[in-house]
Amino acid sequence: MGGNWGIKTTPVDRSPVRGQEPTESGKTRSEYSSTTMSQPQSSHAYVLNVMSDDHPGIVSAVTNAICSLGGNITACSQTVVGGYFTLIIVATFPEAVETEALKASVEGPDQDVTGFQVSVRRCEAPGSQAAEPLEQFVVTAFGKDKPGIIRRFAQYLADKDINITDLFGDRSGDDFVLIAQVQVPPHWSITMIQADLEEMGNEEGFTVRFQHENVFVATNQLRLAHSHGK
Amino acid sequence: MLRTEEILSTIEMLHAEHLDVRTVTMALNVDDCAAAGIGHLCRKLHDKILSHASRLVAVCDKIGVKYGIPVTNKRLAISPVTHILAGHGRKTAVEVARTLDQAAAECGVDLVGGFTALVHKGATPTDRIVMEALPEVLSTTSRVCSSVNVASRKTGINMDAIGQLGHIVLDIARATEKQNGFGCAKLVIFSNIPEDNPFMAGAYMGGGEAEATVNIGVSGPGVVCSALRRRIDRGQDLTLGDLAEEIKLTSFRVTRVGELIGREVAAELGVPFGIVDLSLAPTPEIGDSVGEIIRTLGIDHVGAPGSTAAVAMLNDAVKKGGAFASSSVGGMSGLFIPVSEDSCLAEAVAKGHLVLEKLEAMTSVCSVGLDMIAVPGDTAPETIAAIIADEMAIGVINNKTTAVRLIPVPGAKAGDFVEFGGLFGSATIIDVRNNGASKAFVDFGGRIPAPIQSLGN
Repeated sequence: MGGNWGIKTTPVDRSPVRGQEPTESGKTRSEYSSTTMSQPQSSHAYVLNVMSDDHPGIVSAVTNAICSLGGNITACSQTVVGGYFTLIIVATFPEAVETEALKASVEGPDQDVTGFQVSVRRCEAPGSQAAEPLEQFVVTAFGKDKPGIIRRFAQYLADKDINITDLFGDRSGDDFVLIAQVQVPPHWSITMIQADLEEMGNEEGFTVRFQHENVFVATNQLRLAHSHGK
Repeated sequence: MLRTEEILSTIEMLHAEHLDVRTVTMALNVDDCAAAGIGHLCRKLHDKILSHASRLVAVCDKIGVKYGIPVTNKRLAISPVTHILAGHGRKTAVEVARTLDQAAAECGVDLVGGFTALVHKGATPTDRIVMEALPEVLSTTSRVCSSVNVASRKTGINMDAIGQLGHIVLDIARATEKQNGFGCAKLVIFSNIPEDNPFMAGAYMGGGEAEATVNIGVSGPGVVCSALRRRIDRGQDLTLGDLAEEIKLTSFRVTRVGELIGREVAAELGVPFGIVDLSLAPTPEIGDSVGEIIRTLGIDHVGAPGSTAAVAMLNDAVKKGGAFASSSVGGMSGLFIPVSEDSCLAEAVAKGHLVLEKLEAMTSVCSVGLDMIAVPGDTAPETIAAIIADEMAIGVINNKTTAVRLIPVPGAKAGDFVEFGGLFGSATIIDVRNNGASKAFVDFGGRIPAPIQSLGN
């Protein structure tokens, strides 16, 4: 499937706390984040990315390593795709730590045993948040799989400075389904974006839809959806 | 963040099962258009409708695009036309109807309701003028719809008005003979008429409403039917309680769509949001049938024993799901069984499985009544009146809305086939037994008193 989406960091994540949730394809995804913890609050904050084949005990091992260095996890999110596990963590420490030391601690004394691939970087100062709330839309595409589909849509969205906040893709047989939750700057015409995406879908043999997220909230969640009236 | 399965299930509901917003109906009070001169009255009426509703279609289309949900019909409903016709004669009534027709056309809406008389206890001279003008109005306009409320829980049943309407319905049919009596499809005779109903032909703006509101009618028989089929396919040891729960959940989701669209359209138009009416209203399209739901519930032929119970369960589950989804549920909010507009019901009539008496029984537990039923053109006026009276009695005694929309097809006999076209569909003429046998009863006239409110058995 696909290509490179060029996914950006989510500036505002409104996810509730969730446990592991099986998807229809048998994959799982869990998230733990909130609006207040999307940016680190301490100057000794680090972001860690851990990849491994999926098996029980990964979170336990990683968090144990962070705790042993006096760290406190302020945000995390995990995803399992195709049997591979990824975990991204923001952790703060009372004192500065060497990124290599932190990486080594999480990987464990014998990386061949844990199988963890870890990357660590120091968190930058919080960036400026968007001045106005952006409307959330959902792009869905259904069609026969072929290389470059994700790339084509992603390039279009990137050109328009439309931020992808969540992405799901799954191939089943020859069919591919793609779902992207995106934030649209207010100056764009929804009708024009919709027309562009549909035309792109026609060219690629995909049925593409671009719909405001409120219709999905309204039909699935107990809370009433609110729109900024775009 | 939305979950993938939530997105996929909504996509399926919206696109694979063709959920739409059946109607966005702007209700508008036009009482201040009253004037002594015909020309002045009609100008004020025309201008007021245009000033409020000229953006309705464009706004509905814009919101529909934003959510990927088509708004199939955009309509208007005005306060009862009798209010602005007081003191005028029949000529003015017809001119006002033509003005409504023209204004609706200029706004791009396909129907405008409110050519309405409320005569459940008695009729004023203006009420009579409006009713007597119906054959001319409904045969010379294309968008104007009419309703007459002839009964209510608190007043009883106005048999004088019903007796008169028996003749008027036949006159309308004759005036629209070339369209197989189609004018009758634009007249609904009610008991306990809802004041915020967005569905045509019975929509009008009742008293106690704001100057203008937006009411939404959401349908979705296809969505409910598909949900039931999926549940039946994957479930074991299912009971009717499980199926009722599935209907309720689906109704919740469908109602939420209506609420979402309605609030946003109202905000864009700068008028208050009124209500969302979740009614399973079928269309002749395959897969958009209430009869199909009844069959999915295990009744092989609609009209067979068990049909009334199935309709009752369906109607109740729809209301429960809708009531939880929105605090602004109103209108009919239940199940419609318009025969010609539902391919499955029309087929059941054609094959003799569904007869008039069984339809009447089913209406005692559904949300409307004897709707879009083609009857022989030689049905006696007193028999038409008596059918209306029976249906009104069901509404009055059960404290619910009931309605009648009969179409006597000139020259047609039971078993003949008639085509109305478009959303109005086609139907086999249903057999009306005991034709003419109710004349003496109807001729008594007067008013059947309001029912006792206690001793409820």
